[in-house]
Amino acid sequence: MAKVLVSTWRGERIDNRSKSPEEWEESAFKLPETYHGEQGSRAFIGWDGVAIFREDTDAVRLATEYAATYQKYSEACGRCAPGRWGGRILYDLLDKIARGEGSFEDVEHLREVSQTMMLTSKCEIGRTVPRPILDLMELYKDQFDACILEQKPSPHYGRDDIDYIAKVTAPCMDACPAHVDIPAYIEGVRDMVFTESLEATRKTMPLAHTCGRVCPHPCEDACRRANLDEPVSIMELKRLGADYETDHGLGFLHPQEPKPPRNDGKKVAIVGAGPAGLTAAYYLGLEGIKVDIFEELPVLGGEVAVGVPEYRMPIEKYNKDIELVTSLETVDVYTNHRVDAERLKELDAEYDAVLLAFGARLSKKIRAENERPDMEGYWGAIAMLDQVNLWNKYRIGEPASKKLKDTTVVCVGGGFTSMDVVRCAVREGAKKVIMLYRRDEKTIIRNTTYEEYHEAVEEGVEFIFHAAVERIVDENNKLKKLICNRFELIPDLDGGRPKLEKIEGADFEIECDWLIPAVSQSADLSILPKEWNLKLTSWNTLLTNGRDYMTSRPGIFAAGDCEYGPMTIVNAVGQAKRAASVISRYIYDGKVSLTDEEIMEDHLKNLGVYDKNEKVTGWMPGIPRNVSEKLSVEERKDNNREVNLGLSGEEAIAEAERCMRCYYISMVAV
Amino acid sequence: MSKAENVKTVTLTIDGKEVTTRWGNTILQAAREAGIYIPTMCYLSKVEPIASCRMCVVEVEGVDGMILSCQEKAVDGAVVRTGSEALFRERQKIMELYDVNHPLECGVCDKSGECDLQNKTLEFAVDTQEFTARDQCRPVQNWGFISYDPALCIMCERCVRVCTEIVGDESLQISPGGYKSTIVNVKPDEPCAECGECMAVCPVGALVSTDFKYSSNAWELEKIPGACAHCSAGCELRYEVKHASIDDPEPKIYRVTNDFEFASLCGAGRFGYDFENRGARKDPEAFARAVEALRKAETIRFSSVISNEEALLLARIARHTGARLVCDDARGYQKFLRAYREASGKSLYGGNLGKLQRSDMIVVFATRLYDDAPMVKYAIATASKRQKAQVVYCHPMEDPRIQNLVTRLIRYEAGAEEGVAALLADLLVDRRRAPEELRRFLEDLDIGYLSAESNVSEEEIEAVRRVMWKRKRFTLVVGADVYNHPRVENIARILAAIERYSDFDLIAIPPASNSLGVSLICDLADEAQGYTVGYNAPGDFVLSALGDGDLDMPAMNQQEGTLTTIAKRVVPTYPALPYGGYELADLARALGIGIEHVIDLTPELPAEEGFSPVAFDDLPLGYDNLGTELRGYLLENAPREGEALPEEPAEIDSYDGTVVYRCDPGNLFGPFTARTHQLAAEAKLVGSAQFAAAAKIADGERVRFEVDGIAFERVFTIDTSMKGTIAINPVFDTGLRSFAISSYRFSPARIHHAGDADE
Repeated sequence: MAKVLVSTWRGERIDNRSKSPEEWEESAFKLPETYHGEQGSRAFIGWDGVAIFREDTDAVRLATEYAATYQKYSEACGRCAPGRWGGRILYDLLDKIARGEGSFEDVEHLREVSQTMMLTSKCEIGRTVPRPILDLMELYKDQFDACILEQKPSPHYGRDDIDYIAKVTAPCMDACPAHVDIPAYIEGVRDMVFTESLEATRKTMPLAHTCGRVCPHPCEDACRRANLDEPVSIMELKRLGADYETDHGLGFLHPQEPKPPRNDGKKVAIVGAGPAGLTAAYYLGLEGIKVDIFEELPVLGGEVAVGVPEYRMPIEKYNKDIELVTSLETVDVYTNHRVDAERLKELDAEYDAVLLAFGARLSKKIRAENERPDMEGYWGAIAMLDQVNLWNKYRIGEPASKKLKDTTVVCVGGGFTSMDVVRCAVREGAKKVIMLYRRDEKTIIRNTTYEEYHEAVEEGVEFIFHAAVERIVDENNKLKKLICNRFELIPDLDGGRPKLEKIEGADFEIECDWLIPAVSQSADLSILPKEWNLKLTSWNTLLTNGRDYMTSRPGIFAAGDCEYGPMTIVNAVGQAKRAASVISRYIYDGKVSLTDEEIMEDHLKNLGVYDKNEKVTGWMPGIPRNVSEKLSVEERKDNNREVNLGLSGEEAIAEAERCMRCYYISMVAV
Repeated sequence: MSKAENVKTVTLTIDGKEVTTRWGNTILQAAREAGIYIPTMCYLSKVEPIASCRMCVVEVEGVDGMILSCQEKAVDGAVVRTGSEALFRERQKIMELYDVNHPLECGVCDKSGECDLQNKTLEFAVDTQEFTARDQCRPVQNWGFISYDPALCIMCERCVRVCTEIVGDESLQISPGGYKSTIVNVKPDEPCAECGECMAVCPVGALVSTDFKYSSNAWELEKIPGACAHCSAGCELRYEVKHASIDDPEPKIYRVTNDFEFASLCGAGRFGYDFENRGARKDPEAFARAVEALRKAETIRFSSVISNEEALLLARIARHTGARLVCDDARGYQKFLRAYREASGKSLYGGNLGKLQRSDMIVVFATRLYDDAPMVKYAIATASKRQKAQVVYCHPMEDPRIQNLVTRLIRYEAGAEEGVAALLADLLVDRRRAPEELRRFLEDLDIGYLSAESNVSEEEIEAVRRVMWKRKRFTLVVGADVYNHPRVENIARILAAIERYSDFDLIAIPPASNSLGVSLICDLADEAQGYTVGYNAPGDFVLSALGDGDLDMPAMNQQEGTLTTIAKRVVPTYPALPYGGYELADLARALGIGIEHVIDLTPELPAEEGFSPVAFDDLPLGYDNLGTELRGYLLENAPREGEALPEEPAEIDSYDGTVVYRCDPGNLFGPFTARTHQLAAEAKLVGSAQFAAAAKIADGERVRFEVDGIAFERVFTIDTSMKGTIAINPVFDTGLRSFAISSYRFSPARIHHAGDADE
């Protein structure tokens, strides 16, 4: 909801110009009334319309600047005839009018060129840029007419008194926590120039192998193609660039030439070498800033290394993502190096900034009676997956099959971690594997993915829904059985989440050898010096403002699961990328600041880019999404071979051709 | 695309006509199948849709907006309209944009008369420019064979696409800049393949031949269909001919073009066209001596640069006179083919370039692909791009030029081909399908020995096994390194076993122009003996199309006949230029063989070898609307008796010291290409710094060495991208002698200092 003078955003028609302030109609959208801090904005213009916040807006100049921005953008593209020439002509004609040399014929040509761009441009940017310009020409006809009739420049023409800050986005990019330039990497696949695809990904996402395989792809929930038929298989297309680089033994492709080491004494410590730590190190390292990563485990990679199983994320591939980071000259890593409170204080003193990225590696309890972690047969999911993965991937420790073979395993969970637990248990030879989940099948699919659930069922995992453990029964401290309750879902009449209600008399027992709680994980806060009194969230994670990722202690930043709570890899990457950017400035000026790009990113996130009700035109509906080949149950369930074979070349190109390149430009005048 | 794409079809209506097409085809493809025209500017049939011009938009009932027909798939029940007033207006507006500031220099532009921009500007009646954009100064760039004029460029991206998807060199890129965008050559320092593919597909005058520029209007040139005879690909091309100058009415080839919509050429085919035997006249005395020489000859020696008909005629002459036939550059291949037949159960290898293009698992063995067989490389490039093909390249020398195509290099010791073939068989043969004896052969292989002597580790083989997992379409390509290997027959049997008992199709690249045809038509002897008449080969009496022999003969661009290509296709070629001297048919007649023209023999080519009894004039040309090749006909690949098994590999000889590898560079396939004015180059010995150190020679030094009985003296240069102690020695500058080499390609050679480069 925003106070606007004029708004045509997403089809609304608000014009408060002739109304008194108390009669003003508000916009239904969170349009950026203020730019940053106290700084107000004058106008916001974008793919879906225009919003004017101040009376004295020079609409001709605004339209011209928007066209100029498109012209600048199209200099990064210019891949279709209407967009390339149309964009240039649009700008030239608007500029001609704005400088007081235009004619009404020019206005006609503007409309014509706009029409062509809107109908036939290759990407949405070309199709949408004329829209708010036409809106302005209609709403502020008087201003345009004045420039033409009087042959005089618009009031702000040629003056530098207003900043026009623009940003290119897309619904998928906006939905991606790491804001990966998805249309660009898909275009790389379409063009079959896989190196360009990879470089586009790595602009904001160093873990291309990983997030081309195990990302839960929130982007696909914001894919405009779904408005037409089905979303593009965005995530799997990411893998092509990374696989290409690895398969052809190319050197690492960086989005920019890594800058030489600065050697200016500034240095950053990162605690934890998981996705967040690696990401921050990568973007700081690319800038030539000295980074030391401290990792408690003997291996790099964090939960993706020791949590995500080999059959989902082959370590050979993940190691490429890791090497990309460690190959940078200014990045050093120290494994087997636990940072505790004392050590953290030393780091704080020694380094110009510290990024905490130690994840959330404490398995939470399931809150059953007699739940004692020291009970034989009670095994936290994190510890269990550590043992599985350290052995399978690195031959460290001993095989988990020693414990699990021919046993009955019960996992309590419902998220990705619990899926990993049960599917690993199958592969380690358990004779029976049960997943106990409080809610229903639909929810478990929503929490994970359809494929993940479906594959687990195929592999023989038994799912018991609407059930929870009430009591754990042991014999001489050895787990014997579980007493479980059954629940039913009572819909909330107020539209909230359905409530779980226990069904009396429906209790049942499961005899088992192992109980693996995988309900959630928490961050190990014991490493924080008490005297720092770092502010925490109500979920016991480190508190930041979610924009610059500095904790309550200056110079100490936090990103990833230790900040957000257990979340996705891509979330950790997105946070860490932002934190690295803030840190790169903080270590020099001691200030916490955001770039215009980042401020706009947050505005757009707030406004919401994807409109699931929008009607898509100009594309042929009914082209189904390509689905990659998976190993059959027989081929996969007794080994750690990668289950998802990825899209074939032909499928990938066909899939890339489904992408509608929904780039949009937005711009704020301040 | 669904996995069942081969069977699924869709039916839609285009302009009121019901059209059924394969699922996965685009609306444009469906329309073209049905003969319905949709205008395009950037569309190019042989590559994936580019979608830059937006001219091909159509209307679909029930779908709002305009639909891009080149990219959007045909779906069941769609009702498509390809022409309406609104569509015409939009296409017209796109043409108006294309025409903004396009230089009005059609009068001097090479493309004028065959320019898509010209055609579409007329078609859409754009006769004025109503608005403008600020113009920019962008000078013409000279890229060697090709000149690029950014001012004329419409950024359709076809050139970039073919360079990526067809040629695989990725030399061209788009430099994005909106209105300022241009095409850039990103390999200005290392010349690109210089194939001219980019120029061929350019719809306007932006990419033109530097040599051809301003020399003729397109419409003045007569197009004569031909088949390129430089290598065994036998590519479709058109010689474009006109009188040489105002003073000289003699016809001259100005350039070569091709049906670029569906077919491709390499630089040799495109730029190496003026190899004709110019100014040859009938010399009755020389002719009489030639007839006499043939009468007494014990051997007729010839090269693979020969038509099927001439090869058959030589066989008839030889039978008539009792001479033996020797063809050094085809003999090894014939041995290979014959041994292959006895083992494979069919007369010809099963693979072809179309299948190769669609393969996702490719093993290349014993060929320096980039130089030996450009069209095979093109097909692999397409497979790499479109199918994400795993490409395992097995050769003693790494080739960085194809790093972007190759996913795994297996570098083996020169001479170890038989051992490597055995290792490949051990890896690739499907034991469940193989007969007992073959399984025993594989079990008996001493893998440790083969691996040690060939220097191919078991881990490398294992790595190939891993990447083969779950692949669908397999091709094994073998090349010229094995044909003259002393163990060629056994290698052929091993490779035949792989093809027969695995999912791999085999392509055995014919080593020279018409080696396949010669191998099928002639019975070749191993060595020349006694008095020898050479036909484009050395001899006591030499018939030469190079013009340096005892009697002139017509070059391939001066005669008609057919060639047998790597595609196992018999293709016709027509004389582009007149020829004033005697031909082989004249000699045959003089010897008492009743023949008028060599092409009278076209229907008489041996049916038992798969040839068809079709008259030359009945052979079709070109491609159909959908790109299906119609040229000539395909050889019949008949089943054969026999299941010869490989024998145990012989001991592997190792090569110590400096080794020289016989290989002509990319565009130069021999003396005929070498004499063309655009391709002529100096032959050099090229090796690594390590080779230089081992041979105790320096970069730029003049060296002497002897290989294949030829004493070479040439400049040595270091190529920093090379490794190891094998240097590359071309033979394109040795004239007819290069056609008399039948030795294994790697030879130990002692290199002697002979002076400095400028001496």
